[in-house]
Amino acid sequence: MEYIVETRGLTKRYSGKEVVKDVDLKVPRSCVYGFMGPNGAGKSTTLKMLLGLIHISDGQVAIGGEKVNRKNRIAILKSTGSLIESPSYYGHLTGRENLEIVQTLKKVSGKEIDQVLKLVRMEEQQNKKVREYSLGMKQRLGLAEALLGNPSLLILDEPTNGLDPAGIQEIRELIRELPRRMGMTVLVSSHLLGEMDQMADYVGIINHGQLIFQDKLEALHEHSRDNLRLRVMNQTAALHILKREGISCALKEGDLELPRLADDETAQLIGRLCEGGAGVYRVEEKQKSLEEIFLSLTGRRGSL
Amino acid sequence: MLTICMKTEQKKLKHSHLWMVFAGIPLLPAVLGGGNYLNNLEMLKSGWYSLWTQHSLFYAGFFYGPLIAIYCSYIWRVEHLNYNWNSLMTMPTSEWDIFLAKLLMALRCTVALQLWVGVLFILSGKIVGLPGLPPGEILFWLLRGSLGGMVTAALQLVMSMMVRSFAAPVAVALLGSVAGFLLSGKGVGMFWPYALMTEGMNANKSTDVLSSPVGFGVAVCGFLVLFTVVGVGYLKYKDVHA
Ligand SMILES: Nc1ncnc2c1ncn2[C@@H]1O[C@H](COP(=O)(O)OP(=O)(O)OP(=O)(O)O)[C@@H](O)[C@H]1O
Ligand SMILES: [Mg+2]
Repeated sequence: MEYIVETRGLTKRYSGKEVVKDVDLKVPRSCVYGFMGPNGAGKSTTLKMLLGLIHISDGQVAIGGEKVNRKNRIAILKSTGSLIESPSYYGHLTGRENLEIVQTLKKVSGKEIDQVLKLVRMEEQQNKKVREYSLGMKQRLGLAEALLGNPSLLILDEPTNGLDPAGIQEIRELIRELPRRMGMTVLVSSHLLGEMDQMADYVGIINHGQLIFQDKLEALHEHSRDNLRLRVMNQTAALHILKREGISCALKEGDLELPRLADDETAQLIGRLCEGGAGVYRVEEKQKSLEEIFLSLTGRRGSL
Repeated sequence: MLTICMKTEQKKLKHSHLWMVFAGIPLLPAVLGGGNYLNNLEMLKSGWYSLWTQHSLFYAGFFYGPLIAIYCSYIWRVEHLNYNWNSLMTMPTSEWDIFLAKLLMALRCTVALQLWVGVLFILSGKIVGLPGLPPGEILFWLLRGSLGGMVTAALQLVMSMMVRSFAAPVAVALLGSVAGFLLSGKGVGMFWPYALMTEGMNANKSTDVLSSPVGFGVAVCGFLVLFTVVGVGYLKYKDVHA
């Protein structure tokens, strides 16, 4: 497969400490690639290395199949849009003037300014000084700047930071649409797992500077075996039967949770439970949340 | 690409009210110089040349350098604020264009300042009652001073790029200018970047001190190249920290 972004052994050291370690990122074309990891995992550092904002300690980066070096830096930047850390803006200028600066430097037509303003719904605020914008509006302006010039690669570092729920939803939908509508590839980082469930086709998970998972989103879900949840009338009877059958189980929110069984095994077990007077109310397959998957991958609890 | 970069640099300076600073502050050395001239008429007998010694004493010693420094600090301040380093360095422009565009803006400012000071010099000469127009030689010194100013501009631009503070580089320029004035008097001005303003303008002198225009030219070019290379190198090889 041809990847639009491919890194090999990408490493960043700060005074001897590896904050990004041997990362082999593989981002396919025209998709949304979610780059996830807890705070301080190395997401921003990795994205900054892709953009050449910070220098690589070890390894290499290829963008659009070309190894990035000093010579092709400008050509690559021309077809890349980015929003790193927090939105950049000249506060004493209006939103439109900010966009004009990017438009001039990227040498794209002035008409695109109106298009991107519309895309992020900022037409009404375009003539206000950016200093007076809310954080969400600045974030949208940053996104508009990144979209100027119809880049083939869009690198967004936590783009929904500071947006209200409606804004978050809107931006997610916009990101979701970009590959299909404009053929863009979006590499987007986030520490919110739920966010990725809604927009990513591929995910990469980084923890302590190391890439611990990278595949299709579905693969991440498959990675987590689903569980079977039972709600019964008589738990004591049910537990007795399960023990006799040699099936492990745990109590979760008042329900019994068992490992996933084959269909015929499930049918057999339900039959036995009914016969034994356990009284089955409900049988359901319980999908692990991305949160749980992540925790099992990283072996780490607490806030993400 | 360089002209494109300059166009955007120009835009970034919009609404800055910098022009008021540059219009207003040069009035001070003009007034101080004119006043000094009038108070010492018995000693200062060479007309326009004498007025120039007084005017340029204050201007080159205390004002020109810091004014250039303010301009350079402002040019970088807009980038230091609000994570603009990230966007500056991810635009499809070479580090040379980024630095040179800012440098050319600053160089333009050094020349514009001198033209304005020239106007103020003529006005103050008229006000203190000097006849005719100043000798062309003085106007030549004035413009030659802007070459010295360019060296200061390049140095300040490097400094303000590396240091986030607005005021610290301006203070350095002030101290540097004063030191430049003293070093220039000792005859070692060519080796001190801030002294080249004084030397070029022939400040506080009524006869040309620059016996060797070649030496001056070499010093100006040498420092300009040095500071530009340092500035561009910094952009190329230093991690961006927005
Ligand atoms: N300039 C620097 N010098 C030293 N260490 C740094 C520097 N920048 C980042 N780090 C360290 O590198 C690690 C990774 O930081 P990074 O900003 O990439 O994390 P992140 O995944 O983006 O986190 P977040 O979700 O908080 O944005 C952190 O432990 C951080 O302290
Ligand atoms: Mg980050």
